[in-house]
Formats: sequence, structure tokens, C-alpha cells
Amino acid sequence: MLSASLYIIGCSARNRFRMRLRRLREPRYLAGAVVGAAYLYFSFFARFRGARSNRTRAARAQRGAGPLTAVPGIAAAAPVFAGMALMAAAAVSWVAPFESGLLELSEAETQFLLTAPVTRRQLLVHRLLRSQIGMLFGAVVFGITVPSSSGNRRLSVGIAMWLLLVTWKIYFAGVSLARARLRAATGAQRTAAFVPAAIVVSAAAIVGAAMMRAFYIETPAGIAGAAALVASVAEQPAIRVLLWPFIALVRPLFAASTTGYLPAIAAALAVTAAVSLWTLAGDDAFHLAVDAAARRRSGRTPGQTGPRKVSYRARAEAWTLAPAGRPETAFAWKALMQTLRVFDRREAVRTIAVLTALTAITVATGREGPAALLGGFSIAAAAFAILMAPQVVRMDLRQDLEHLELLKTWPVRAASIVRGQLLWPTALITAIAWTMIAVAVTLSGTVLPHVDWLARAAGGAAVAILAPALVVAQLTVHNAVALMFPAWVPLGVQRARGVDAMGQRIILLGGTWLLLVVMTVPAAIAAGLFWFASARFFGPLMLIPAAVIAAGVIAIEVVLATEALGPVYDRLDILAVERSE
Amino acid sequence: MAIAVEHFGRTYSSDTGSLTAVADLSFAVRGGEIVGLIGPNGAGKTTTLRALAGILRPTSGRVFIDGHDIVADPLEAKRCLAFMPDEPHLFEYLTVTEHLRLVARLYGVADIDRRSAALLDELELSGKERSLPGELSRGMRQKVVIACGLVRDATTLLFDEPLTGLDPLGIRRMRETIVARGRAGAAILLSSHLLHLVEEICTRVIIMDRGQKIADGTFEELRSRVDLAEAGSSLEQIFLSVTGRK
Repeated sequence: MLSASLYIIGCSARNRFRMRLRRLREPRYLAGAVVGAAYLYFSFFARFRGARSNRTRAARAQRGAGPLTAVPGIAAAAPVFAGMALMAAAAVSWVAPFESGLLELSEAETQFLLTAPVTRRQLLVHRLLRSQIGMLFGAVVFGITVPSSSGNRRLSVGIAMWLLLVTWKIYFAGVSLARARLRAATGAQRTAAFVPAAIVVSAAAIVGAAMMRAFYIETPAGIAGAAALVASVAEQPAIRVLLWPFIALVRPLFAASTTGYLPAIAAALAVTAAVSLWTLAGDDAFHLAVDAAARRRSGRTPGQTGPRKVSYRARAEAWTLAPAGRPETAFAWKALMQTLRVFDRREAVRTIAVLTALTAITVATGREGPAALLGGFSIAAAAFAILMAPQVVRMDLRQDLEHLELLKTWPVRAASIVRGQLLWPTALITAIAWTMIAVAVTLSGTVLPHVDWLARAAGGAAVAILAPALVVAQLTVHNAVALMFPAWVPLGVQRARGVDAMGQRIILLGGTWLLLVVMTVPAAIAAGLFWFASARFFGPLMLIPAAVIAAGVIAIEVVLATEALGPVYDRLDILAVERSE
Repeated sequence: MAIAVEHFGRTYSSDTGSLTAVADLSFAVRGGEIVGLIGPNGAGKTTTLRALAGILRPTSGRVFIDGHDIVADPLEAKRCLAFMPDEPHLFEYLTVTEHLRLVARLYGVADIDRRSAALLDELELSGKERSLPGELSRGMRQKVVIACGLVRDATTLLFDEPLTGLDPLGIRRMRETIVARGRAGAAILLSSHLLHLVEEICTRVIIMDRGQKIADGTFEELRSRVDLAEAGSSLEQIFLSVTGRK
């Protein structure tokens, strides 16, 4: 089986490399490759060279300080902190709603390997081998980014990181298998499966309690004092034993010299071996876990592989689509249904209720600290919603191009389709922004104490008026890019891989921002002229009509843009839409 | 003519070159006709159906649905037709009923509740109204696609392998449904590899190979062709003979 696994991995890697090389004949991939390579060079290799010439770091390396132990006072406690974090993650993994990717067989693996005379253990080893390329890449990137002047240091840290990733992957697969056994097995087997969970969670609880007790008894002075206290607690015999496997795994990352590194990596290897033995010994639940993974994947269309799709739940209709009306609202309804199939309406109501209660309590108690904190958070959240959410919320053509074959058969004007796709994401993001703006304006007295209330209120209203315009402008740009360069836009949850694909994304992002600037300039000029002409006479209240003017200009631009995009949609060939590798 | 295809051609271009999927294809289908479109894999059947449905633009030639050019007047052409593809494309977040409502809205179908109830009953989807596609089997998803196509009174029906994934009862129901729609006056173009189905329900057959039409006519006309006289009387024998695979 090992040779078959290596054959599959080798063939896949070779074919993928050939395919990526072949597609460089297309200018868009070549341009992407050039930009991607430049980005990699300036991000990593230039940094590598820069670090080499840094005499300070070189001197530090000669003194024997490890690359990750540069901050004084933290050095001794760094492995302890990392080990504790790993322990916490290991404990949480038993209750977190995630499952190991090692058990998610692809359609081809299910068809060829699950039906072949191959043991479950061999299948697990095969899956682990297949995951090596990604982990090796992650370890190499980590090794490169480590601030060090020594190539050996980067190599040793890279190896340590790879070992850590491998061990975590195996451990997580073991957790998924144990969970599957817990769900299905009978009494004694269930107890046996429960033991590892109980050990890890109890160990984490004991260590956590010891740390809390120490901090309760003695208040440390500064970060260095806290680090020293943590290190001292970790030296207690019982805590030392409990933390040992976790610290052993991360210690090679912090080893300062070869003499320290070799025993550390040996200890880490011992932990990896123990975790592997535990996972592979408990492979009896393999089929159960694989079945569970397949069920989770059932949201995919038949034959689809690649990233996991969003899981939808059937819930009661919030809005019954009327049989007649504008087609745009049908698209808004469709996207609303999509949202409601992922998020429960009650969650939104609860969130708003909590925010309202917090705001009311903060205002009623008059405490400036919490008010400033909540107000600042609200401003940041509103800004994020207006400026960044349109990139994240992709319930428009960026998703629906996956259904282009269906959309193309509908008797709907292309411009109406484009506009309809923009409606719901705009409404959703605007609702979020308005909620946060309302909280921010309510608490703005503590965040902006030097600005009078009229200006704050007018500013809030102006931002609220501009919010939907800015959001729909960005969504228009994103959808325009999706229609004009469909092969460059990742559809749905798929992500193209490779340096050229990364370069394409960089070019796309730059182009999108440039288009957005071009689109908002006329609105900014019109609103700015009005503001300068009227503000001196009527004060900050003029922010509101200025915002209305800007929003109006943007709205006209959006309508014109969607009309112009109609023919682009009509000409869009279904084969131009990129399929995942 | 409900369907008129005039010198239709479609070429696919890629970084490795170009491929002519269909070349200079012409045919017509009248209302009430059920025409079977058959051919070996890669013959160009699906490309033809997708061009008729407005999914692919012809590289050359013209395609008319009820007299409307699918490229020049796509909205009117699409209002007249229903395309049922072999691979069910559904929105994973809409239930069966919501799919039908969406179609009703887009095509302006009145009385959708009564129509959809009757159709879901006919296609044995009753009880699945509130199910999401992810909760349905492949065959049921296919039925939902067919229901979305049949819920409106389309005058032109395009079926691409309509029986894929259906159980025996579903196949029989589907056969009856297609025949009933044909008798009601719809022009039906049906692509299938199931030659016995084509032989049973189609009034005419178009055989394609390597992107070209190599035979077109009723079974009697094909059987009476001089070059096919020795082929035999079944469609399978005619198909194998005319495609040179015998």
C-alpha cells in the first residue's frame, strides 16, 4: 500500500505541476505567476537576505540566543506558554465541532481505496502521506519567516514545525476516531474511548487551576514577572509531568543550540510515535468516522471534491416569494433564503438584544471606560462592515456563477440579474453597519468627547446614509470583476492554488480597489463641493445632504454600471468560468 | 417551427488548441413532435441542447425557439422553453417548493401552488416539499429539475438524458409525462443513450456523430434508406450501422 500511496502522490504532484506549467501559456496565468513570484520574493526571500545582513541578529545568534527567544524575560517561559496553548487546543479539540481532514476521503479514494483490499491503518497512513505536501509547505514558510541569520537554524525550526504539524494532524484524527467510537460503541468500549479525553481535559484543568492559583496568590510585576511565575508553576513536579508531552513537542522550536536541539527533537519524536500508536491502534472506528465525514460532505453536489461546502438547514420561510413582481427581488429572496439556511434568525435577534442591553447599561451607569471600549468597538465594526464585508459576503455572482448553466436559461434581463444579485448582500451588510453606527453614535460622547453632539449626530447620520452606497459600489465592482474576469475569481468556496493563482488574486485585489476609487471620486467631488459651499453657513448638519448627494451619485453609477454589465453577462461563456483543480 | 437550427456550429478553444464540437448542423422540430437526439459520446448532443437552451452561444449559425433567435431575442426564446439537463443543478439552500416558486416568479407562472402540488404528486415528490437538495437522492434531485421545467407551459422541451438516476417506476412515469406533453402540442427534443426509450416514445430520430448530423427521419424513413437496408429493423442496429460501429 505504501508504494501505491507514493505512486498516487507522485502522479498527482507531477500532473498538477504539469497542468500549472501548461497554463502559464495563457497570459493571465503568466501575469499572475510573475506577480505571485514577486510577492513571494519580497515577502520571504528578500526578508531572508535582509536578515542575513543584520549584524545585530547575527551577533545575537552567536551569543546562542534562539530565534524565538529574543524577548528578555519571556525566553524561559516561551516553551511553557506554547506547550500550554497546545494543551488547551488538545483539550478543546474533544468538544470543538470539527473533525479531522485525514478521515475525509475524496470521491476517488472512496471508490478506489475503500473498496480495495487495504487495511484501515494503511488508509490512514495513506491519508497522512497525502497531507504531507501542505504541511511541508507550511513548515518551509515558517522556517523562512523565522528571524534568524542562520540557514541551519531555519532548517531545524522548519523540521520542528513540520513534526508539530504532523503530530497535531495525527492526534486530531485520533480524536475524531475516538469520538466516532464514543457515538457507536457499547459500554466498555465507550469507557475505553472516553479515557484519553478524560486524561487530556483533566490535565488541562489541573494545569489551568495551578496557574490561576499562582496568579491569585502573587500578583506579578509586568510581563517578565508573569512569565517567571508561569515558568515556576510549570516546574512543579505534577505540572511538569502533565505538561511534558506538549512542551516536548514545541521545545525544538525554541532550542538555542544543536546540543539542545537534538535531545529536544528526540523527545518530540517520542511524543509523535506515542500519538501515532494511539491513533493507529484505535482504527476500528475508521469506517464510522469516514461515514460521518461523508455525511458532512453530503451538501456537495455529486462528484464534487475540494473544500467543504457550507452546511444548510431547512427552516421555516421568512418571506414567501410572490408569484409576480420584479425579477431583482427574486434574487434578493434567494440570497435571503441562503442566509436564513445558515444563520438562525433568533441568533440575530439575540445579538441585537445583547448589544442594546450593553449599550443601555453602559449609558445608564455612566462608566466612561466600558462606554469608550464599546463605542470604539462599534466604530471599528461599522468601518469593517462598510469597507471590508463586501469582500467577505459573497452571496452574489461570485457564488452564483457556479450556477451559470441554470441562470443562463432564465428569461431575465442580464442587468436585472446583476442588480438582483447585489440587493440582499447590500441590505444585510447595511443592517449590520447601521446597528453598529447606532451604538457608536449613542456612545460617541465618550469616544469623541471634544466633538459636540450635533456634529456627532450629523456625522453618524451621514455615515449611515453613505453606508449602503459604499457597500453596493464595492459589490458592483466585485461582481463586475467576476463577470469580466470569471476565471480569476474564486467561485463559492473553491480556491485555486499555485503561485500564479496567488498572483492573480493580488492583481484582482489591486484592480478592485482601483475601480472602487474611480467609482467614488465623482461622488466625493460632488459631496465635497456642496460641503465646502454650505458648511460655513449651516454647520455640521450639512454633512447629511452632502452624504445624500454622494449616495445619489454612487446610486446612479451603480445603475449605469449594472446596465453596462448586462451585455458582458450575455456574452459570458460558461466555459470561461474556472473550475477547481 | 418550435425549434429551428440553421447551420449551427460550436467550437471550443483552449490553451491546447480548438475543438469543433458541432459543425453546420441544421434541423427543425414541429410542435407535437418528440425527436430523439442520439449519438456516441462526444457526438455534440449536449452542446446542441445547451446552445438551444441559451447556455452556450453558437460560434456560427442561428438557433430559433418559437421563431425567436436565442442570441438576438433571448428573453422571448427562453420564455418558451424548458431545459432539463442530465446533471441536476439546484440551489443547495432552497427547498423543493421554493425552487418551484422561484421558477414561477421568473417565468410568470400563475396558480403555482395548485400546479406544483399536482406536479410533485405526478413525479412522486409529495412529502419532499420542504426538503433541501442535499437531503434528496440523485434521482429525486433529477425529478426536481424536471418539475421546475414542467411547472410552466413551455412549448419547447429539451431533455438531456432525462432518465438518469430514476427508479423503474420513475422511468415509466417520466416516459408517460414526455409522451403526454408531446401529445399536448409541445415540441420535444430528447437526448438519450437509451435507444429503446427513444424507439418507444420518439416520433423521429436525429443521429449525430463527430459533431455532424448523419441521419434524420422517422423510423420508417430510416429503415427504408437504401444504405441501411441491411442494418436491421431496430434502432440499435440502425444506429450501429449508420455510425460505422457495426
